[in-house]
Amino acid sequence: MKPRHPVFILACLFAGPLMGQEPEGTLPLTERERAVHALSRLAYGPAPGDLERVLEIGVEEWIERQLSPQADAALEDRLAGFPSIRLSLVDLMDQYQAVLEEGISAEERRWLQRYENQPRSELLQSLLVRAVHSSNQLEEVLGDFWRNHFNVSYTKGGPSKFLLTDWEREVIRAHTLGKFGAFLAATAKHAAMLHYLDNASSRRPPTKQELAEIERKVRRRTGSRERGEEAAQLALQRGLNENYARELLELHTLGVDNYYKQKDVIAVAEALTGWSYNGGRNGDWAFLFRNDMHAQGDKRILGRRVKGDRDSGLAEGEQVIEMLAGHKGTAQFIATKLVRYLVNDEPPEGLVDLAAKAFQKSDGDIPTVVRAIVGSDEFWARENYRAKFKTPYEFMISALRATGAELQESEPLLRSMIEMGQGVYLCDDPTGWYDTAEAWLDPGVMALRWQFALDLAEGRVAGVSIPPEYWDDVPDSLPPRLWQHHLTQKILPGGAGPRTRAALSTVTDDYLAKTRVPDISRLGPQLVGLLLGSPEFQQQ
Amino acid sequence: MTHAATRRDFLRQAAALAAAAHTGLLASPLRAAPPAAKTPPALVAVFLRGGADWLNMVVPWKDSDYHTVRPTIRLGEDEGVLPLDSRFALHPALAPLAPLYQSKVLAPVINAGSPHGTRSHFDAQDFMERGAPGLRNITSGWLSRYLAATAKPGGSEFRALAMKEVLPRSLRGDHPALAVPTSMDKKKGQLTLGRFEEFYGDGMPGAESEQGAMKGRDEEAAKGEEVVQSGRMTIDTLRRYHEITAAAGSGRGAYPASRFGDAMRIIATVLKADAGLEVAAVDYPGWDHHINQGGIEGRQQQMLADYAQTMAAFAADLGERLETTLAVTMTEFGRTVAENGNNGTDHGRGGGMFLLGGGVKGGKVHGDWRGLQPDALADGRDLPVTTDFRDVLAAGLDGVFGFRAPKDFFPDYKPGRTKLF
Repeated sequence: MKPRHPVFILACLFAGPLMGQEPEGTLPLTERERAVHALSRLAYGPAPGDLERVLEIGVEEWIERQLSPQADAALEDRLAGFPSIRLSLVDLMDQYQAVLEEGISAEERRWLQRYENQPRSELLQSLLVRAVHSSNQLEEVLGDFWRNHFNVSYTKGGPSKFLLTDWEREVIRAHTLGKFGAFLAATAKHAAMLHYLDNASSRRPPTKQELAEIERKVRRRTGSRERGEEAAQLALQRGLNENYARELLELHTLGVDNYYKQKDVIAVAEALTGWSYNGGRNGDWAFLFRNDMHAQGDKRILGRRVKGDRDSGLAEGEQVIEMLAGHKGTAQFIATKLVRYLVNDEPPEGLVDLAAKAFQKSDGDIPTVVRAIVGSDEFWARENYRAKFKTPYEFMISALRATGAELQESEPLLRSMIEMGQGVYLCDDPTGWYDTAEAWLDPGVMALRWQFALDLAEGRVAGVSIPPEYWDDVPDSLPPRLWQHHLTQKILPGGAGPRTRAALSTVTDDYLAKTRVPDISRLGPQLVGLLLGSPEFQQQ
Repeated sequence: MTHAATRRDFLRQAAALAAAAHTGLLASPLRAAPPAAKTPPALVAVFLRGGADWLNMVVPWKDSDYHTVRPTIRLGEDEGVLPLDSRFALHPALAPLAPLYQSKVLAPVINAGSPHGTRSHFDAQDFMERGAPGLRNITSGWLSRYLAATAKPGGSEFRALAMKEVLPRSLRGDHPALAVPTSMDKKKGQLTLGRFEEFYGDGMPGAESEQGAMKGRDEEAAKGEEVVQSGRMTIDTLRRYHEITAAAGSGRGAYPASRFGDAMRIIATVLKADAGLEVAAVDYPGWDHHINQGGIEGRQQQMLADYAQTMAAFAADLGERLETTLAVTMTEFGRTVAENGNNGTDHGRGGGMFLLGGGVKGGKVHGDWRGLQPDALADGRDLPVTTDFRDVLAAGLDGVFGFRAPKDFFPDYKPGRTKLF
């Protein structure tokens, strides 16, 4: 072991306000810790200068501003390179959908198909740019919560590659800080969801007349009686698809097996038959209610009668959505998930109840619920400080922010996300990605984070760079042995533990032993890479 | 093609094939001696996620009800099903499994599943992987509990792995298991592990007593202790894994070029290195065929072909080692007996399992078949569960490891009987 005493003494000078205090759990967070905590949970970690800015305007004021997002011109500039994210669905498909005319070459076909994927690439890149650079960080943090809550995925294939652009803008972003009821209704009526969970193809079983009609038509066309009977038999099977109804209850509103049974799933599916879209090559993919697919008649849902209406079954589904949005089970479920996301993997019960009450009282007003959580003592309790393990997404975004990285091209980052198991808009399961340590903290996964941390800091992630001025604020007078403390403050404003400090000292000593003229732009990236891969940086 | 007639013939033949395919690649420096007469036992758990439609995998091909309720996706003689016995036949895409069945190393189980009636993927998967249907307070996986129950002090750190970046629930729990970062470059990865060694090293480094004043911060860091342990495990086990896989080379052999094929090939490699691996878990996602499942052609057929080719390649690759290696394939539930209107099926109840190797009594379709008459179905629509999946898992653990699951290993469980081993 190398002697470390001098470094330790100096480390104390840099270690921040926690020094020499009583054991944790007894003392409230200091103002600086509160700022760190706010930036860790209501933002994707501090970017250079953020902590100072929050301290200057005050934590409460910063949070209020986050809850009322302001225009961000710098962000808009950065997003200028992704024109497709602003296009309406019709324009988007007009422009990007491949028209594969007969006689085109294989090369032309490949080019057209690649071109079709441009909107997807632009959307995903724009999401990373927003998460890293937006000054309205809470909007991004909550946006990702809802993106996973109402999960849809490119893996569903088909028109998803176009629909998700509109979904992100018109459903997720438009409602992230809005009312839950309107949000739920928007998800239910968007083609992306109707496609992802198959509701667009769910329909009532055919009537006897319709079956006879089908049989007759097929018999006439094929001249085969057997084929006609088969077609009728087949048509009889066509019917209800429970997929969306089930996830609507289980994942979007009440939570699994809360308040509902299988018969409710079926009844909800029936009420939602006919909820479809105007698809196809020339369609505008807008919501379309198809009364001919709708299962007529009264339904009994969650113990209540939903009256059937021959002229417009649409109202039945709308009534169901409204009923679910206002259900106390929904308030409890959303509150639990939000508290888990923002506070602790084990959501404190009292806080969940508080948030659920806020949800019910405010008619599902999302900012009100967030205010209730953030305004609670539990949110600021020391036991919740640095207590949540970052998901791969949170890890990557926070690393990019902490290093002030500029994203020229984000495709390589998106690939890394997939490698770490959390591709954006690529969660096949309707659950969306989980946000708990239990889901992500496995031996093995750390290796990919470390790799990314070193690659980012040492300039090996294509399309991403840490600006040279990142290293400029090291005071000239600071002895090279203490650079690690300066950098620790930048990457881990909550401080580093003794093991990390010691390990950084080893690296510093090795470097200094081999170097005549120490250079921060050489040692710095090594130290920052290690800091990003340190145990402390994995927590928020 | 001639089929090997007995299990022994098959294994011998498979061993010869495998040796031929891998000539030169087997000279692993990690293996001191060629495998002894009896190779160490191992269990590979394959999870088909999404609820695989077992009824079109092990098909009641002569049942007229079956043909009636599945007019589009049904499989019969015309479609070239592969008869197993007078009642059941394999989907034609599962053809590579037929010789394994004939040589009695493959045992299909029908109507297997969970006694819990949930049709939620996520609950059903959780319940199955934790071996605890309906019990949300059980958080450890059944494989992890096996590992914990049989852990020896100073034993191998490399007893379990999953071929994915994130551990499946069956391997979550107190016993460590490696989630393999399958995408990581090996050489670069080795360097990376080395650079983080001290950050995730054992114990707190030096001078602790002199840090009285820093107590608050140390406790702060203690919240991340789980992260540190996880990191340390990552370094130790990943190094071992890299040594083994590097020594084995990268030939594909008979495995298909697919994620599942790659995963099973690597598991076979690690098993053959005799590095102490006892349990491996592999996921095969995407079996939730509400739409375009198809019959003789379609999404399920493509996936079944990949699955079967891989399993056959795995059996051949292991050769005689298959005697002591059991591969269990499971899925969270089966699907509706009737097809839906979209050339697919919806979430159902009874599904099925495949057991390959490990001394299983193959060449016979196990399980209790009740037919497809409406009154024989669960809720009038699904295959009833007549074999509790825990009966199969318990039999597997006993059969391959000689491990008799103690009373609360599967909580709230009344053992049923199987004649699988």
